[in-house]
Amino acid sequence: MTSIQRMRRRAYEIMDGAVPDKYSHFVEVFVALLVVANVIGIILESVPEIHEAYEAYFHAFDLFSVAVFSVEFVTRVWSYGEKYLHDEDGSEWKGRKEYLFSFYGIIDFISTVPFYLQLILPGADLRVLRMFRLLRIFKLSRYNSAFDDMVAAVKAERDSFSSAVFLLFISCLLFSSLIYIIEGHEQPEIFPSIPAAMHWFVITIVAGWGNVDPVTFVGTILVIFTQILSIALAAILTGVVSTAYTAQVERRQAMYEMEVRAVLADGVVTEEELAKLKIMQAKLGMTDDQVSAIAAQIEEEKKVSESGNS
Amino acid sequence: MTSGFKHTLMEIMDGSPNHVASRWVELAITIVVLVNCSAVILDSVPEIHAAYKDFFHELEFWSVMFFTTEYIARVWSLGAKFAASEGGSWKGRRQYILSPFGLVDFFATMPYYMHIFFPYLDLRILRVLRLLRILKLSKYNTALQDLFQAVYSERQAFGSAVFLLTIATVVSASLMHFAEGHEQPEFFGTIPHSIYWAIITITSGYGNVEPVTKAGEAIALITGFLGVCMAAIMTGIVASAFSNQVARKKAAFEAQIREIFSDGVVSEEEKETLKRLQAHYRLSDVQVEAMLQRAQNKTVMKG
Repeated sequence: MTSIQRMRRRAYEIMDGAVPDKYSHFVEVFVALLVVANVIGIILESVPEIHEAYEAYFHAFDLFSVAVFSVEFVTRVWSYGEKYLHDEDGSEWKGRKEYLFSFYGIIDFISTVPFYLQLILPGADLRVLRMFRLLRIFKLSRYNSAFDDMVAAVKAERDSFSSAVFLLFISCLLFSSLIYIIEGHEQPEIFPSIPAAMHWFVITIVAGWGNVDPVTFVGTILVIFTQILSIALAAILTGVVSTAYTAQVERRQAMYEMEVRAVLADGVVTEEELAKLKIMQAKLGMTDDQVSAIAAQIEEEKKVSESGNS
Repeated sequence: MTSGFKHTLMEIMDGSPNHVASRWVELAITIVVLVNCSAVILDSVPEIHAAYKDFFHELEFWSVMFFTTEYIARVWSLGAKFAASEGGSWKGRRQYILSPFGLVDFFATMPYYMHIFFPYLDLRILRVLRLLRILKLSKYNTALQDLFQAVYSERQAFGSAVFLLTIATVVSASLMHFAEGHEQPEFFGTIPHSIYWAIITITSGYGNVEPVTKAGEAIALITGFLGVCMAAIMTGIVASAFSNQVARKKAAFEAQIREIFSDGVVSEEEKETLKRLQAHYRLSDVQVEAMLQRAQNKTVMKG
């Protein structure tokens, strides 16, 4: 192993955070703080008085941030070549490709590169650039599983979500057409067409009373049904989300349990395995109580099976 | 060989995975339904209606032809569902015609012909019935059926929530009628009038009418607060209905696993069964893996 290879290995460990050590922790905190400072800067910059008074500082800070993020991006691309290098069919570019086309790789890229575009093409619209800069906030989600959790939970319950959305879609069509047919003649300025009635329906569903009073008796009944439907739909969506999150917690526990079983399978627990479990616990956001409960359960099973075998 | 063709057609229309064609039929019906509903919506905008009247008319004609073919194909092919000994060809047909899907298919298509025979029918009713076509799509949404099942299993809790809602509505409407009936007779002059206000206030937290007296203000505040409670109760019921359903599914799956492990060997066939069940209950791979491990350890314990 040459010294460059060693350096790359080290850089990969620090950037990926797969091994607990204080340098990778330092890099994490530094990037996170810089991202937060960036977002605050973008918000403050949008106030005209502040922008005028401190324009030079903002510019210098942006230069500094872009420099840091560029170094980060280049280091990641370079060092992620290590990821699959020691696998059987792995090559340097497998790890790099995986990073470049991952969610975080794309975020790292498009939140940094537009700055250079501006240097090359000075005529670009500044507002668009600022929007890209705001994407830097997604860098934070790398260090927190909440965002991944949400995506995973929605994915796992996508059938329930799609059926809730389908229900919303059907009721929107039926109710807005009905109100158009019933009240369209009486209130042509509010319900001139089905699309206009759909606008009324969406406002009623998401915000409550849609500021329109029906004038016919059937219309009144319909509005009352729409109001009750709005509560029911909100309840269904909330129910789906809360079930999705509960299921997500269970899934994590199952994942951790499998890892513990794998570690205990050979009967010995090495230092390395213990560290791995610790990282997994932190990544999945599990409390110590949950962990010890799982460990106790597995111990129990093991004891019983040993006494049964002898 | 008509009976063989009839059976194949039934499977295709039923969405059986044995035929590639069943997916195409499903896709075609979905597209035609969506195009139809968009057409009904767009047709209601006066400018669009004036410009594309003939096109919409043509579209309606061909859609009705399409749906009629679908309906006839379903009714005819479902004759193959039960053998003569089980009730004959009309048992399957009757089952379909009287099912919710069969009724939707019928009422979404037939009005067009009624319009031909009785040209003086109210066009607006025909238009509503045309929109029923969107309900045809629910046949292909199994998660929606799950959702109704979850709600249905908690119907008692829902019943009591509706009861509470009724009481809250009637009480706050009557109180409001007594408090403001004289001040704002156009809104609270009768109790049925106040009921409309009460429902709007309970469901959206803010009514269509501002109270003018102190007592009326207090009642409006309490009614708004009741609305928040109602929303919380409904949400709680639905959420627990969902999680109960998930628990039921998991318990059923676990029972299956235990049965498979009871003889100590897991054959290829049993693995296939597990795969199918997992898809049916919509469980993730990790959950299934953990359940399997647990079951395995338990059998080792027993051995």
